[in-house]
Amino acid sequence: MPVPRLRNYIGGEWVEAQTDEYDDVINPARGELLAQVPLSTSADIDRAVSSAREAFPEWRNTPPAARARYLFRLKELMEERFDELAEAQTREHGKTIDESRGETRRGIEQVEVATGIPTLMQGYNLEDIAAGIDEHCFFQPIGVFSHIAPFNFPFMVPLWFVPYAIATGNTFVVKPSPRVPLSQTRIIELFEEVDLPPGVLNMVHGANEATNALLHHPDVAGVTFVGSTAVGRDIIYKTCGQTGKRVIAQCGAKNFIVVMEDCDLEKSMAGLMTSFFGNTGQRCLAGANLVLVGGDAFYKRAVDAFIEAAAAIRVGDGMDESVQMGPLQNGASKQRVLGYIEKGIREGAALALDGRKLRLTDPDLPEDCFLNPSVFVDVTPQMTIAREEIFGPVASILRAKDLDQAIGMIHDSPYGNAAALYTSSGQAAQKFRHDVKCGNIGVNIGIPAPMAFFPFSGMKDSFFGALHGQGRDVIRFFTEAKVVVERWF
Amino acid sequence: MELRTASAVIGFAESLETGAAKFYEAAAAGFADLAGCFRDFAKENGKNVQAIKRAYYSVISDALETGFSFQNLTSEPYALQTVFPESAGAAEILKIAIVNETRIQSFYRQAAECSETLMADLPRVFKRIANNREKRMSRLQERLDATGGSR
Repeated sequence: MPVPRLRNYIGGEWVEAQTDEYDDVINPARGELLAQVPLSTSADIDRAVSSAREAFPEWRNTPPAARARYLFRLKELMEERFDELAEAQTREHGKTIDESRGETRRGIEQVEVATGIPTLMQGYNLEDIAAGIDEHCFFQPIGVFSHIAPFNFPFMVPLWFVPYAIATGNTFVVKPSPRVPLSQTRIIELFEEVDLPPGVLNMVHGANEATNALLHHPDVAGVTFVGSTAVGRDIIYKTCGQTGKRVIAQCGAKNFIVVMEDCDLEKSMAGLMTSFFGNTGQRCLAGANLVLVGGDAFYKRAVDAFIEAAAAIRVGDGMDESVQMGPLQNGASKQRVLGYIEKGIREGAALALDGRKLRLTDPDLPEDCFLNPSVFVDVTPQMTIAREEIFGPVASILRAKDLDQAIGMIHDSPYGNAAALYTSSGQAAQKFRHDVKCGNIGVNIGIPAPMAFFPFSGMKDSFFGALHGQGRDVIRFFTEAKVVVERWF
Repeated sequence: MELRTASAVIGFAESLETGAAKFYEAAAAGFADLAGCFRDFAKENGKNVQAIKRAYYSVISDALETGFSFQNLTSEPYALQTVFPESAGAAEILKIAIVNETRIQSFYRQAAECSETLMADLPRVFKRIANNREKRMSRLQERLDATGGSR
């Protein structure tokens, strides 16, 4: 069967990109070629932005309730195609089928929340600010927005933005990650099925040229970005700073999971494994540094239990329902993680569990993208593996004498995306929640992922901007407040 | 087979319910006196699958411990007898059914216990289905007693 060549979606039509350059989309578990994705040019972006700009006046004048109805229909289609959507994610990304179903549910949740736009977008007013004078505040759409998507959640992350942007009356251009473009393509096909008016939502595949074109385009009012800190910082302070765009940049992380001696270690272990090795460590909420707080006996017991659980994880093709961890998304990601493992060894950490020794559920799987879980002990906060985002299945175990020292370690990190505490002490939990400078806090929860009706927070180098994705924040991001002071003679 | 992930557990639960339903449908065809009861059970088996899937697909999330919630759960203790010899009488059929139901019930209880603090709605549904099986087993036992087969 010929390998499909993906097309862009512009103005309600599937169109060829104006390029001869294509990248392969590979199933990382099986090595099979799934599709070829065009590396679109600035001309493609210009065409998509023009289409979105032309669609804006009519769309912004469509009543919010009518706009929401498209999303109700989209939600129904997503429910009907739930497993198909999840399987597409596993094939192109490698994550397990449970993880893909979880991602699908989270994506649908965004659409559900955005259907409430007639309420969410309401302004406020006050009569008689002076005699006979009233004041109103309206929230109005702005224009063309865009999203530059990461590879780690190909279905869910674009849905942090797209439903809200169009529900508020804006039009949109989305650029999927070229590594995982199929899930986003499927979302667009579903939008096409619900007859979203042409130009309201457009998709352009591509890499750097397409990204830069979006960032510099004068008709793009705002950019939403999820990816690395270095790129996010450049987007907000350089490119979009110069071009005056609104920005949400949700960026890198190095998350600390603090485990106190008083926690229920046995019950906590599933959460810890999910945190460190779920999605093969490729998520911004993943646990990276495990900080154990307690005496020698606890430390030994916790290290042994953690390593035993990590060693038992079944690694293989995520389509196999017995598999608990899939491959990394591509071979380059694996090489990057291997580099960190070697660096950890060179800097003096002890590799207590070596994930380079592959133990796959199916020995016939190609090894290019697979690693088993790795666990380092004797890690100090100064080591590279404790400071930099590895984005892979590698855990570093550190030790702190008390909670204050553990919190100090968190604060020494430039990142502030997430942190979690495992404890049975309410006092410790309250202190952690109050003091820790991270946007998303878990208490006996290893992945503190905010639901769609709360902002997906982040602090320090993990987030750039004023308003976050999801929740009330994202509604404000996609709208402008207009105040009307009114008197009638 | 070890059952560690939510999807593996859901798949196994579905195979238990489907296997039991097939057994009841086949037995209903051969025993007119038991047909009503067995067909009810087979229908209920289908509803159980739907309830489990509904719970799973409603709460599953990238943040829940779907890959790691079921420690020490294996499929072997819960193997069902889904076929019976042509010569089997009503008492033998009822005895097989009771053994099957006991195994299914203990599977749900074990799966609920494993995941109780982790998986939100799923263990609740498992427990409800396990508890409902008490009624089913009483009904089967009554029919067995009536055949004199339990003596």
